[in-house]
Amino acid sequence: MNAIIDPRSIQADSTSAVGGLAIRHVHKGFDIDGRKLSVLEDVSLTIAPGQFVSIVGASGCGKSTLLRLIAGLERQDSGDILLDGVPVAGPGLDRGLIFQDHRLFPWLTVEQNVLLALSNSDEAATDKRARVATLLTLVGLDGFAQAFPHQLSGGMAQRAAIARALAPQPQVLLLDEPLGALDALTRLRLQSELQRIWLTQRSTMIMVTHDVDEALFLGDVIVVMQPGRIARILHVPSAHPRDRADPALTPLKAEILSLLHAG
Amino acid sequence: MSLIAEFPPTSFVYAERIEDHDPPPAWLVALIKRARGLVLPLLLAAAWHWASSIDASTAYALVPLDQVWERLLQLLSTGELAINAGSSLGRALTGLALGGVSGILLGSLMAGFPLVERLFGPLLQAFRQVPLLGWLPLVGLWLGSGEEAKQLLVAVAAFHPLLLNSYEGFAQAEKKHLEVGRVLMLSRWRSFRFILLPTALPSILTGVGQALAFAWISTIGVELLFGTGAGLGSLMHTAQMAGDMGVVLLCVISIGLMGYGLNLILSLVRARLLRWRVTG
Repeated sequence: MNAIIDPRSIQADSTSAVGGLAIRHVHKGFDIDGRKLSVLEDVSLTIAPGQFVSIVGASGCGKSTLLRLIAGLERQDSGDILLDGVPVAGPGLDRGLIFQDHRLFPWLTVEQNVLLALSNSDEAATDKRARVATLLTLVGLDGFAQAFPHQLSGGMAQRAAIARALAPQPQVLLLDEPLGALDALTRLRLQSELQRIWLTQRSTMIMVTHDVDEALFLGDVIVVMQPGRIARILHVPSAHPRDRADPALTPLKAEILSLLHAG
Repeated sequence: MSLIAEFPPTSFVYAERIEDHDPPPAWLVALIKRARGLVLPLLLAAAWHWASSIDASTAYALVPLDQVWERLLQLLSTGELAINAGSSLGRALTGLALGGVSGILLGSLMAGFPLVERLFGPLLQAFRQVPLLGWLPLVGLWLGSGEEAKQLLVAVAAFHPLLLNSYEGFAQAEKKHLEVGRVLMLSRWRSFRFILLPTALPSILTGVGQALAFAWISTIGVELLFGTGAGLGSLMHTAQMAGDMGVVLLCVISIGLMGYGLNLILSLVRARLLRWRVTG
């Protein structure tokens, strides 16, 4: 399952100074039946390049909206979102997004799905195919290049979606409850895979989840959200790769849970 | 009682008995399955032949099959059947292409742009209420009874099913897929080619199936009505005037078989294009 990867084959950013995010006083509301519903109120957050940030919170707290703002799919009402100092003004290949449902195109094979993510690259077709093959190895999908999405299990489809999101080599990878739709065992396995991929890639990753254990296993930083706002930002001292039973995680888990219940 | 002796009600023994028999080879099963569809036509032909031999009046209305066979050989040797069948086929396919492409174009534009939908929607709805025969006098007046008139009517017949089905297909585009297109920064052309078109394709192919049937039926219809030029409909028209029932029958059979063949080809194309879909 764990494919052996030469980290140099997937171009990791050695300068590592890119992929830093600054979110400053962001407000966002939606019009629902003519009434303004505030989803994010004065949210500020700084994310260092290469960090793994977990955002936890109950459903409806605005965590997915925050991710969609960073992705450029929605626009904030006020405040700034800066990627390496440049304001985000829409979607861009410097940010990849993985959804809860894999959202592969059912009419394309796994390989074609990942290739499509490279359509803005001017590499030669053979180079693109080679890169797709490397990515599929990275996510453990060797031999499934020609499969159609309906032939894959949920976990495999999500792996393919991860490969697709990684293909344009984004500096920031945004994960919107990426493992939320998977069964418990697949989930645990993919958490370890995500960690391995992150250690290989070393790009910034921001993952929204409502699974506290998942957040703690993967995150350097845990952002705990209560409806509309950030309640607390916690730093996880343990090194990667992490042991799920690490006793240092226990008090953090208790703190996060109490915050979530308070909100 | 001998049955019970042969097949004791023990599943174990029963299973063994089953394995004793080699299953018939797959190609034979497939052939038998296919051949079942021929049973009724053959019975019908036999009944036809029997009825035609009752007396002279039935022999006129229901031509004996050996006479039909003779006429077939004649028509084949003169090339008359091939020329007329080819002419009808060409007319139907040209009409399908003309009407179909305009239907798909307009349908996709109506799905993509609300303004186009509001502009064309009511007009096309009203237009659709006029049956094909209702256009006949007007088209006859404008274009006469030549090739252009026939072609136009066939195109109109093929236009509507593809307009409706492609509109429906393109309107189905899912936000979740379009969003992926935005995240991946796909160009407008690539979004169309890789997201919108595949979404609409099942619907469009359903439309092609209907349009093909309508085009074929209306091709024969206008040929019969105008009775000019080449075509199976014209051939049938002439044969009817001459009381040549053998040729009439041959035309009916050819029209049926060709329509069947066209449909078969389309279903193969369809299966190939939609192989990404979950089957069953």
